[in-house]
Amino acid sequence: MAAPFENNGNPVWLQNPYAVIPAVIYDVVEESPLIRTLRLKPERPMVFRTGQFIELTIPGIGEGPFTPSSSHFVSQELDVTIMKTGFVTEYVHRARVGEIVGLRGPFGSHYPIEKFVGKDVVILGGGCGLAPLRSLFLTLLHEAEKYRSITFLAGAKSPKDCIYKDEVSGWRKYPNVQFKRAVDVVPEGEKWDEDVGVATILLKKLKIDPADNPAIVCGPPIMMKYGTFDLLKYGFKEENLFLSMEKKMYCGFGQCRHCVIGKYYACKDGPVFTYAQIKDEEDIWE
Amino acid sequence: MVIKSTDLLTFLQKTARDQLGGFTEIFAPATSPWSEPRNTFFTPLHDSQTPLLDSYRTVDPVKILIYHIREQIQNNRNGVGKHLILGVKACDLKALLLLDDALKNRDVIDPSYAKWRDTSTIVSTDCGSIAATCHCTLVGGKPYAESDFDLNLAAFDDSYWITIGTERGKELVDLMSSITTVLPGQAEQWQRVVQRRERIIQELAQQNQPFQRRDGYLDMRHCGPQPWKEEATPCIGCGACTNICPTCYCLILNDESKEGTFIKERSYDSCQWNGYARVAGGSSPRPKMNQRFRNRYLCKFDYMYHNFNRIGCTGCGRCTEACAGEIDFRRVVKAVQDSALAGKNH
Repeated sequence: MAAPFENNGNPVWLQNPYAVIPAVIYDVVEESPLIRTLRLKPERPMVFRTGQFIELTIPGIGEGPFTPSSSHFVSQELDVTIMKTGFVTEYVHRARVGEIVGLRGPFGSHYPIEKFVGKDVVILGGGCGLAPLRSLFLTLLHEAEKYRSITFLAGAKSPKDCIYKDEVSGWRKYPNVQFKRAVDVVPEGEKWDEDVGVATILLKKLKIDPADNPAIVCGPPIMMKYGTFDLLKYGFKEENLFLSMEKKMYCGFGQCRHCVIGKYYACKDGPVFTYAQIKDEEDIWE
Repeated sequence: MVIKSTDLLTFLQKTARDQLGGFTEIFAPATSPWSEPRNTFFTPLHDSQTPLLDSYRTVDPVKILIYHIREQIQNNRNGVGKHLILGVKACDLKALLLLDDALKNRDVIDPSYAKWRDTSTIVSTDCGSIAATCHCTLVGGKPYAESDFDLNLAAFDDSYWITIGTERGKELVDLMSSITTVLPGQAEQWQRVVQRRERIIQELAQQNQPFQRRDGYLDMRHCGPQPWKEEATPCIGCGACTNICPTCYCLILNDESKEGTFIKERSYDSCQWNGYARVAGGSSPRPKMNQRFRNRYLCKFDYMYHNFNRIGCTGCGRCTEACAGEIDFRRVVKAVQDSALAGKNH
């Protein structure tokens, strides 16, 4: 199957970058106390490539950049997993099924999944950073046989903070897929029989030749930093490390300058960068 | 070609009154009763007014007429008419080139900026005096324009020397000729223009002698944190410097959606404000004032240079003029350059 982006020609926003596509919330999944997934039906298909992001508007409130968490092989519907952490996301968490939100995009760079074919793919993420990684993961699972193996290493603060709980057992059924989780702490009274520690401890059990294989990282800044350093230490190459950078991506197409990382715009040149691209720029982990 | 000042004034007043040439609005520098007598502001011209075309640059940059402080950018179907903007100085023309690169000459176009830019005829004028903070010559500029205008008016004696830059400029001269007298220029008159220009360049050279700097700015990022901290001490982070800068175009989007219609407005933002680059969860790449202060200088001389192959400073000196902390931009650039070089030599 050809990548959907090419089938669609130019994205809508090239004509008017501020054009908003209305989308109805048809389902809400409460993933954890702070994270929920909105399941959206846009008025017209939102064709994107995994790793790209969209701007989601809560009418009258504001807008924020979020990466779809669903497969890019689905464009009639779109999942967006959002943590309650600020003004707009507060309203995202109050939104109800049936309400209309706005979408702009898709914007930015994507994961180059064509380069992952035949490889052992390692995905490392934590917290709400799992959102873009779920999109990548589901996109890869769509043609799982094309990849030698897919290893998804996910971290969370505690068992109740783990997201996509209901999907894990399904993911683990694929013969070439490993899904491992670690939580920082297990509070008394909570049940947990997987690993305990920061997400990067899962790398210790990794049995993959890092020489020519890709690793993808997304998570809170501190996890991004140490996850990247640990993967480099493990032997992954700088150009095979794909990072989803979180910056304040306001407009989405390199105009507003909020997300500038030195000479790059996180929204236009990223959000997916290789470590080789941005390692010499300033403030990348903040 | 040459036009007498009095004839030009008659032409402008008639054009303003009768909307000649289809111009729905004319903006020209004028003084304000609330400001210093030599300061001018782009003001809608009425048929009884006398614009002040030969002073130094206006207090506000021409940006405010084309890239508005707050503007609806979507579902904005209102026509914007045709505009004549007079008295734009060379520094602001240079700034427009950068704004064009950022907002218009690229894959994605800011629809509102493009609309205003495309409906505006720009008439530049030579600087007849300089402000205390003017330093265009330090950044390779001149106090008069040689290109990038539709029409340029260079004052001498009681007349203006006319230079046509574009087809639009030519149309404007045709309109002038149809109403008033436009004469062929004499070589001797051109000499008067050149003399005047040289005098202003001399004044600038003298004024900016203490701030002479080295070529090339890419070393500035290697300056250690200490000079930045010292220079930023008087900074209160108000953002006046960025809002008044002719090349700053950072924006925020305000959602004004109502009754089932999505409406977005954009307004100026400032990298000097704490919340500028802060992301959800509270993390910020530049939580301290001196980091944000440094960001502004590096944006002008390093980041924008990489983005557009031109620096983001035109030497207009407005940032220094607007600064509540009396920080002289020229002094900071010199101090940082000196420190970066000293660090290199050690």
